[in-house]
Amino acid sequence: MELTNILSADVIYDLARGPFVWMSLVLCIVGTMVRTLQLISLTKVEKRNIRIQRPAAIKQKSNQNFSAKNLSRFFSDLKLTIIGTSPVTIVVSCMFHLCLIITPIFLLAHNILIEEAVGFSLFSFSEHFADRLTFIFLICAAYFLIRRVFLPRLRAISSVYDYIILAVTTAPFLTGYLVYDQVFDYKIMIILHMLAGELMLIAIPFTKIYHMFFFFIGRFVLIHQHTLGKGSRTW
Amino acid sequence: MIEEQTAAVDITFIRDMLEKNKGKMKLSLRVCAHCSLCAESCFLFNAYNNDPKYMPSYKFIHSIGTLYKKKGKVDRSMLEEISINIWKRCVLCTRCYCPFGIDIPSMIALARSICRSQGVFPRYD
Repeated sequence: MELTNILSADVIYDLARGPFVWMSLVLCIVGTMVRTLQLISLTKVEKRNIRIQRPAAIKQKSNQNFSAKNLSRFFSDLKLTIIGTSPVTIVVSCMFHLCLIITPIFLLAHNILIEEAVGFSLFSFSEHFADRLTFIFLICAAYFLIRRVFLPRLRAISSVYDYIILAVTTAPFLTGYLVYDQVFDYKIMIILHMLAGELMLIAIPFTKIYHMFFFFIGRFVLIHQHTLGKGSRTW
Repeated sequence: MIEEQTAAVDITFIRDMLEKNKGKMKLSLRVCAHCSLCAESCFLFNAYNNDPKYMPSYKFIHSIGTLYKKKGKVDRSMLEEISINIWKRCVLCTRCYCPFGIDIPSMIALARSICRSQGVFPRYD
């Protein structure tokens, strides 16, 4: 009887909407800070001017006005980047990451809960719009799954871990989508949605999802031939 | 081409080298999203009909990644297998591109140093 009480849906619901949220948030924030400090400590400030200089001809070219010739050159150069080699993946990836970040932050239901908990919240998207964004996210996740299953180059470097991480990232959105449309039992789905969201938050600093922070340091802070911007540190 | 020796592998030495570079290497291996967007940046990948074994990520996962996974406990045949990925399939031209800014050449270079320290390297004589 006692065990049934402990494991009852109401108890799990209360835990998932209360202490588990705070625990996962603390683990996510502290873990990310520790991981980022660890990354910063592995690098050092570079005082020498070791940036790769762009050839004078390219510099001169980029200073010219936007003429049809320059634009065509710009697009032909773009073909040599990953936008040119994998255009569909880049578009899907951008949409996937955009939906991943903005949907939970600007979701009305989340903001009502935040308002109740801390007294203020951000503005919210309409429920219909957020539902569409979630749908787009799920389509993008399906694209990544299909790509990983069928493309030889992805299969060569994939392991069970990659599928688990994709599942961990997608689960909060899939359950959220089902909750909003009230598919299956609402109570069970909302519990699964909360637990999936908390699991994803905890996974951020401890798994490859940390690439969301590493990207900004790896591309904007560290100096190498693909640095975006000025860069200030080296390994 | 690869030195074929039967001498034992100095696991302690390999572990020391792995330990010295642990911070950067393990973090780089951990954040790799296995997205394969580095593939086309390797001219060998393009030259060998898009063979996945020539992808930069494949090469570092199956060299330095294997060494960290095995915690340095590798035998000579395993090092020889690794050496194919880091010498035959990579010229260390350092032109590989990672969308996250992972320093792939340094990972290949460390794997090469470890293999070389154990006498596993290409011979041209």
